[in-house]
Amino acid sequence: MLVLRPVELTDLPQLQRLARESLVGVTSLPDDAERLRQRVLDSCASFEKDVEDHGPENYFFVLEDLTCQRLVGCSEILATAGYNEPFYSLRNRHYTSASRELNIEHDVPTLSLCHDLSGHTLLRGFHIDAEWVRSPFSELLSRARLLFIGAHSSRFANTVITEIVGFSNDEGGSPFWDAVGKHFFDLPYAEAEKLCGMNSRTFLAELMPHYPIYLPMLPETARDCVGRIHPDGQEAFDILEREGFDTCQYVDLFDGGPTLQARLCDIRSIAQSHIATVKAGSSIDARGRYLVSNDLLKGYRAIVAELDVNPGQPVVLDAGMRAALNVSEGSRIRLIAL
Amino acid sequence: MLVRPVSVTDLPALLALVREAGPGFTTLPANEEQLFHRVRWAQRTFAEQVERADADYLFVLEDDDQQVVGISALTGAVGMREPWYNYRVGVTVSSAPDLGIQRQIPTLFLNNEMTGQSELCSLFLRLDHRWGNNGRLLSLGRLLFVAEFTHLFGDKLIAELRGSADEQGCSPFWDSLGRHFFKKDFSQADHLAGSGSKSFIAELMPRQPLYTCLLTEQAQAVIGKAHPNTAPALKILEAEGFAHKGYIDIFDGGPIIEAPMTNIRTVRDSEPLILAIGTPDNRAQVWLIHNRRMENCRITAAPAWQDGNSLIVDRQTAKRLQLQPGDSIRAIPLVNRQLKAVAA
Repeated sequence: MLVLRPVELTDLPQLQRLARESLVGVTSLPDDAERLRQRVLDSCASFEKDVEDHGPENYFFVLEDLTCQRLVGCSEILATAGYNEPFYSLRNRHYTSASRELNIEHDVPTLSLCHDLSGHTLLRGFHIDAEWVRSPFSELLSRARLLFIGAHSSRFANTVITEIVGFSNDEGGSPFWDAVGKHFFDLPYAEAEKLCGMNSRTFLAELMPHYPIYLPMLPETARDCVGRIHPDGQEAFDILEREGFDTCQYVDLFDGGPTLQARLCDIRSIAQSHIATVKAGSSIDARGRYLVSNDLLKGYRAIVAELDVNPGQPVVLDAGMRAALNVSEGSRIRLIAL
Repeated sequence: MLVRPVSVTDLPALLALVREAGPGFTTLPANEEQLFHRVRWAQRTFAEQVERADADYLFVLEDDDQQVVGISALTGAVGMREPWYNYRVGVTVSSAPDLGIQRQIPTLFLNNEMTGQSELCSLFLRLDHRWGNNGRLLSLGRLLFVAEFTHLFGDKLIAELRGSADEQGCSPFWDSLGRHFFKKDFSQADHLAGSGSKSFIAELMPRQPLYTCLLTEQAQAVIGKAHPNTAPALKILEAEGFAHKGYIDIFDGGPIIEAPMTNIRTVRDSEPLILAIGTPDNRAQVWLIHNRRMENCRITAAPAWQDGNSLIVDRQTAKRLQLQPGDSIRAIPLVNRQLKAVAA
């Protein structure tokens, strides 16, 4: 049985392993013990806090295999992107180059540094062990965050965004970085990403180009990276696309990877999830597979379960499910079909 | 050889010259009607019938057989009717002191800073006449003219030198930059610019600063580099005090060289003298001489020597200048005495 729950300090040793294994570009998982520890502490404080209006809270979840108490994945929600320091992106818009006298109008694609996306809620830090990729549990790890947002929407913004890791080659280089960021940072891609994870991101403001970048001027390999996903990020993209997320005109300033965006009301797991009560039982004539969560805050739990769900009726959960979710007869649960 | 204002009777010769100069010579189009218009306008300029903003002093170099073998021009002021654009090569510093990172990135800033300055342009000398002092006479004659009529010109003189292009006439700077906004070959853009559309094309270009690190390496390499063919012209003007101060052409990245009036040798050091006739001997140097007239301007280069307030020239020189002994001239030694003679 795999269960999603908030991170605890005791998870630190296992978290370090996950951080080491995660994809370069998943910068919200710093491969540094002290930073990770701080991240965990911040998360615990966020779950404790009374929140009236969303602020700098970060909700860090882990996916635990209960049979061996091994962490197999993690994911996070940052309540407000850009709260402590601006959240930078590259806005992908056309520059219109026109001359009435010459009867010419050209649209030149352009990337401009901005922090338009500050203020939105940010999904980040998604990592799952290789053996669970493209399984119902990676859906759990990603979408349980959305169920959590649905349960506690006053703690979040009206719009949720996420950055999908952009393309990097087998040697770990990014053609987009080499054509753009490298000129300003004078560092290889992997090092720059690492630096980003270690330090506050304000140094980005000091170094990134503030004037527009005209795409036709970049080499083709770099242009091809704009909006392109790393193969290992494809699953995360697919899950969220099915949830109703859409690409918007923003890409990551390091690797050109796409940013996805959705309003709460358009997110499937939020709009279509429904509340039910638990009925304790031992056998289930399962009709479908569901993501189920207990709707709590500090004690949040979510699992994948095969259930028999009928509208308006309590849902039968067996002992194992009830234990994993930490619920009992009559408890409130939130569920959505997988 | 003498330099004088262009006249309509020069048209056939001009057309031949412009054709010889080829498509790269854009400020004088090989089109009879446009040439005629330019010549008429120049005549009105020398007749002092136009405003400085529209003034176009077009000179020709005439040999002793009255053949027109070269052209050069001077504008009263650039950018007063349509904006005159160029890039200034500046620097953007990108630094994060805490991380020990500091980057200095050359950046191109679009600007109109040359507005109101006077421009040297349209210089062409027939290949078979590129010897002796012909080039200097044709080019520097304009500066002597300016020296006489400084009130008609700006604080600075500028000259746009052609930028680097390969044997096929392709400009790496254009291909890396301008082409993306004005989707034509350099030669087409150049041609359109020559026939008066330069400011329109410039307005297609992005207004925000451009980081040169985002240009191709070939483009970066030609920023501020003059085409090798312009080397002789460049040398002549550098000896006069012209220098490249970081401004470049928006199309081909060629350098704009400039000098404040007060720093230009010919403008600063030329002096009014009295013409006298004699036989120049081995004391004589070659002097650049102007008859101090506007509409009947005559400028020549001839051996002469100074005696007090007088400049002694031979009869033939006086005749070219259309002057009598005792008439006033403005003159300067053609080559700076302090400089070693440079091969033309």
